Amino acid sequence: MDWKGYTGRILNVDLTNEKISISKENIEDIKQYIGGFGMNCKLAADLLKPNIDPLSSQNTIIIGTGPLVGTITPGASRTVAITKFPATGAIANSCGSMSFGFHLKQAGYDHVIISGKAENPVYLTILNQKVEILDAKTLWGRDIVETTDYLWDKFDSCGVIAIGQAGENLVKSAMALIDKTSTFGRGGLGAIIGSKNLKAIAVKGNLGVPIANLKEFKRLYNNLLKRIRYYPQRDSWIKLGMLRSLPVGMLLGAKGQKKKARQCSERVYLKKLKRRRIACPSCPMADKDVLEIREGAYTGLISYNSSVINPFLMLTLDGLNTYNEAIKAFDMINRYGLDSLTITAFFQFISKMYEEGVFSEQNTEMQWKNDFNTLINLIEMIAYRKGFGNELADGWRKLAENYEDIDKKMLTVKGLDVVFEPRFLRLGTMEFEQIVNPKGAHVASGGSPTYVGAGGSMEKFKNHFNRMGIPESAIDRIFKPPKKQMGINVGRLTRYSEDWYTILTSLGLCARAQMNRFWSLKSVTAFYNAITGLNLSLEDLRKAAERSWNLLKIMNIKEGFSRKDDKFPNEWFKPLKFGENEFKFQDFFGGINITHEIANQLLDDYYDERGWDKQKGHPSQARLEELGLNKYF
Amino acid sequence: MTAEIIVNENNCTGCLICQLWCSFFHKQKFSPSEAYIQITNQYGLNPKISYLDGCTKCGQCAQHCLYDALRITMTEGK
Repeated sequence: MDWKGYTGRILNVDLTNEKISISKENIEDIKQYIGGFGMNCKLAADLLKPNIDPLSSQNTIIIGTGPLVGTITPGASRTVAITKFPATGAIANSCGSMSFGFHLKQAGYDHVIISGKAENPVYLTILNQKVEILDAKTLWGRDIVETTDYLWDKFDSCGVIAIGQAGENLVKSAMALIDKTSTFGRGGLGAIIGSKNLKAIAVKGNLGVPIANLKEFKRLYNNLLKRIRYYPQRDSWIKLGMLRSLPVGMLLGAKGQKKKARQCSERVYLKKLKRRRIACPSCPMADKDVLEIREGAYTGLISYNSSVINPFLMLTLDGLNTYNEAIKAFDMINRYGLDSLTITAFFQFISKMYEEGVFSEQNTEMQWKNDFNTLINLIEMIAYRKGFGNELADGWRKLAENYEDIDKKMLTVKGLDVVFEPRFLRLGTMEFEQIVNPKGAHVASGGSPTYVGAGGSMEKFKNHFNRMGIPESAIDRIFKPPKKQMGINVGRLTRYSEDWYTILTSLGLCARAQMNRFWSLKSVTAFYNAITGLNLSLEDLRKAAERSWNLLKIMNIKEGFSRKDDKFPNEWFKPLKFGENEFKFQDFFGGINITHEIANQLLDDYYDERGWDKQKGHPSQARLEELGLNKYF
Repeated sequence: MTAEIIVNENNCTGCLICQLWCSFFHKQKFSPSEAYIQITNQYGLNPKISYLDGCTKCGQCAQHCLYDALRITMTEGK
């Protein structure tokens, strides 16, 4: 097979037996699952046995890229991993960016599958055909920045996935970072990599990626680039990155914390912190930040971030007061390979439990204050599993087992802490997806539909739905919510949002709003066909996405998940106090309070739109037959 | 009039679009290592941009740079 866009090769690394082999991809599988996320699902369904311990040598990590990765296609640089996650026990995907997937393609591989467990700490290097498992004795115990810098010194500008001390110590929320910038693997990918005694993977290649139709690609690329280049908001996106879409200072201002709001303003970012803007390969909308503290505490600290908003958001913690503190805390979290969202959620939760008298120094064996030093202490205690940190390192589920009735107070779904708070942001697809995502309260696949169109007319929403390739018949149903005033049915819409996300991540395209907005099902299919020469239809891509998501669901049903786990947190139905204001759980347009009844109706509608059994939340036999998935369930 | 490429490494984001386009334009595939323009220290604090022997200064890299790290200017003479 003369592959274009694809390499057609999968690299298999068995760490137990130190065996490296290459397997070939099958064109029929490619047509059914496309690549990246979709092919990862197919490989995981074939390789992962149900009910294994995620941190045992039986778990396997499947890393993939898409057929558009390695080319100049705008924003085609996604790296996707599927494995069984320790925080929730779910089989789920994680997406990262920066250069790992790009270099993997250039080295001649679409996927790399890592199985078994090394006897001693090792790292993996992939340099075209030269693949080696090397001794990592001197790297073990070092943080992610040190590890990545070591590998960059050794192989200039290679793609690096690395873990820090949290991953080594099997902290169940530990993540990996790609190129010390892009978070990779919320829910414990870092711990899985650590459980395999694998410190890092470095990849670099020079084989190149040929494509099928050069003339057509050139035409498509130049047309798309013209739109991107002259997009009126592009300059401000490049200047501010994600701070443009989430002005943290305004959030704090709304809370009445004006002094803190000034600490994370545009001015502070541009004048005092921004050191370099970096981009994923092929990205025309660069948004990654290299920050440098230039005055005050921690002067000289250089911190790589997927966006400045991540450290700035830490200022929403009552104990932090300056950007210096926020960046220092965030940098520590990154270096250890922890999850800033989970750490922030733990900190807020513990403070609340102290206030309510549930926790005391007897439980935590530490002096608890709502301040910076306590946060720093907490980060270290979790990363190194010291004292109370050891308990937290086992995650929310373990904490719920240790303290009676405490789970009702947690803002978690399936054992993962909530990312987007709907009482503040209202119930869009990104908030709703946290309930139905097999991984738990994760935000990725619900992106864009209720955000690009926010504040817009229903006609604008419809244009957006057409762009995503939502069938006309479904659009009518999406405009029929449980209460008319809600305007849109986020339950039904989330299904198509997930499918659109699956298409983008199977192709290897960035799903962030600022790139997502330039794509449509029609244009991604045109790029796909010009690159691969496979001439698939819009319907082929749409079906492949649905097939992949259903297969992911099936794997999780076998793990014991069902509708009972798609549960809205109790706390969402109570008012949220924010400064002097109080926010309620409301629909996307803010006209209706979401009750348990409406929430359940939205769940019913989501399952119905997916063709799943409403009671169990399982795919129906008819839908499985239609998708050719019977053999898996 | 001749074309001159002005390099401003401070603006480079490491996106590699210049290398990708160069290899596509001259070698008909996406292969940064075969491009006549090379970016080193891609995500370090100080990236380096250099041109290899064989570069004809066709200006394609600068035409496709989206971050003003490469710009074409026309100069008098020769």
